[in-house]
Amino acid sequence: MNAPSMPSRLALVGNPNCGKTALFNQLTGSRQKVANYAGVTVERKEGRMRGPSGREYAVLDLPGAYSLQPASLDEAITRDLCRGFYPGEAAPDALVCVIDATNLRLHLRFALEVRELGKPMIVALNMVDAARRRGIAIDVAALERALGVPVVETVAVRRHGASELVARIDAMMPQLAAMPLHAAQLAGDHHAQVRDILADAVRMPTRTAKVDDALDRWLLHPVFGLMSLALVMFLIFQAVYAWATPLMDGIEAGFAWLGAAVAAVLPQGPLSSLLVDGIIAGTGSVVVFLPQILILFFFILALEESGYLPRAAFLLDRMMAAAGLSGRSFIPLLSSFACAVPGIMSTRSIQDPRDRLATILVAPLMTCSARLPVYALLIGAFIPQKTVWGVFNQQGLVLFALYAAGILSALAMSWTMKKFRRDKGEHPLLLELPSYRLPHARDLAVGLYERGMIFLKRVGGIILALTILLWFLLSFPAAPADATMPAIDYSFAGRIGHALALFFAPLGFNWQICIALIPGLAAREVAVASLATVYALSAANDDAAAQALTPLISHGWSLATALSLLVWYIYAPMCISTLATIKRETNSWKQMAFAAFYLFAAAYLASLVTYQVAVALGAG
Amino acid sequence: MDRGLLLQYAVIALAVLASAWVVLKKQFPGTVRRLRGALALWLVQPRHSPRLQALGRCLAPPASAADGACGGCSNCGPGSPKQH
Repeated sequence: MNAPSMPSRLALVGNPNCGKTALFNQLTGSRQKVANYAGVTVERKEGRMRGPSGREYAVLDLPGAYSLQPASLDEAITRDLCRGFYPGEAAPDALVCVIDATNLRLHLRFALEVRELGKPMIVALNMVDAARRRGIAIDVAALERALGVPVVETVAVRRHGASELVARIDAMMPQLAAMPLHAAQLAGDHHAQVRDILADAVRMPTRTAKVDDALDRWLLHPVFGLMSLALVMFLIFQAVYAWATPLMDGIEAGFAWLGAAVAAVLPQGPLSSLLVDGIIAGTGSVVVFLPQILILFFFILALEESGYLPRAAFLLDRMMAAAGLSGRSFIPLLSSFACAVPGIMSTRSIQDPRDRLATILVAPLMTCSARLPVYALLIGAFIPQKTVWGVFNQQGLVLFALYAAGILSALAMSWTMKKFRRDKGEHPLLLELPSYRLPHARDLAVGLYERGMIFLKRVGGIILALTILLWFLLSFPAAPADATMPAIDYSFAGRIGHALALFFAPLGFNWQICIALIPGLAAREVAVASLATVYALSAANDDAAAQALTPLISHGWSLATALSLLVWYIYAPMCISTLATIKRETNSWKQMAFAAFYLFAAAYLASLVTYQVAVALGAG
Repeated sequence: MDRGLLLQYAVIALAVLASAWVVLKKQFPGTVRRLRGALALWLVQPRHSPRLQALGRCLAPPASAADGACGGCSNCGPGSPKQH
């Protein structure tokens, strides 16, 4: 036991998707990501809470595990931490084993295994509201007697849904710590014990809800299921364009007004140029895409909450296996739509090292949210906004095609990698399908708030910093007295851009695009901010500088160049954070170098072909 | 050069230096940490003045958390405890 001044350490353990992270958020006031599928948490998270008595606790949220005999990296983290073998971590003082009241047959088995560790333990019987709705009657007192540890009902997704648990932990902590169980006396056949406990303490009317069965008959159908999945994804991208436009117009007008107001107040000079042409033009051109990002994530979060995504993994398993991946790769690849970094980290839940490596290497091909501003800018500038076949938004169709191109490229790449490896065997997919659930409004709101804040923090942090640096490189040194070209051509960045343009000319990239590619190494959406700054500084007068970026590039670039840049961003080889994460997760410089090389080669070749074909067809 | 223009250049220089620091810290945290450590170790040597030694202690990087695998989001780690 820790000294009185030290907080007691509680670890939340349980099967995947039992609500540990939702409970962790309730207990500590954190906002860690929750979703209705297994494997969302792949590393330990820590938060603090203070009980009604004033006692302070450090709460650890551990990755879900089906057993303490680990089959994957995340399960090993949970086992090692519970046993006190995790490097740099003290063993927890007590374990809170979270079990899903709607799936006791599976979850009680793990609870029995955890009990054998001999640590002080309390069981949180989570999702009791869902269990009651299904007619599952649980005798908590009988369950307590059978398990020999305290059992407390919780509803982790409801406000105050964990109050009783907090009170019990706080009241029982001294006794819990003083009375450890003896592991050796408790070992036995877990399946038989679970059967006995269920017979004593639980009455189950049906094994699964009728609604789940009815929906699954359609949504898991080999033909209708795939059609439904394609339709859902298609509608999402339609909505991104149909709903976002008025909001985007408002933000754009707001930044234009701000730029004009600042220019009117400040005297002409370098500081005014930094604020108007650099900071306002640069960050404003990125912030304008916030509504599209939020709409896209609204749908992704709703699908996550509903329990549909594991079904999508099941539907795509055969296709993914043919391409050298497995259905288990689906969730990491889906996470990569937000950002490849958490996507690559969540591959820890893939047990087979070969499948895991293949997933890590293709995860950067998923279209991360940082690419959305670039896509939206180019689509807005070059694809006319009109209705196709009477119902579909043409711009939405193109965005859908770009996302689909990323997915198909990932499948093609993993299929190619499969050709070159010795072990060509396939691994069966074992996946827990959770019950369908109506998305919880609070979780959706929190998820959207988090996504919005992540985006705005990036704008106020790395994007702002890079915009200022780029403005500096585009403004200094000043043009000589006898200059014959625009001043920007004499700047540091202008010279770098012109040098790079030689290499990228076959792809149709002008020097302005080449400049934008460099800060895009740190954050892809900076490419948009960079273009805005470059064009603002290149403008002949203030009126031209105040123009929005979209009309500037639609008049300045050919369609072939725009298509080539869109294709470049499908592969987008330049993201330092992603490459660093690949290095860390594979522990191999070789794999990281391979990822960087193949992504760059694919981007260059695909853009080259796109540009040359487009020019040949008269789009140059 | 008049005073107003000089002031503008000073503000710009500060903004550029701060931006460079932010980019370095976000993109190359390990390198920045090593650089800070090396500089701090050099500054805290007894042959330097107490003021420089104090600067060295300020520059020294904070102790790292047990688990640095957060992907650079810097949002994890214990905050203030939630009162129940």
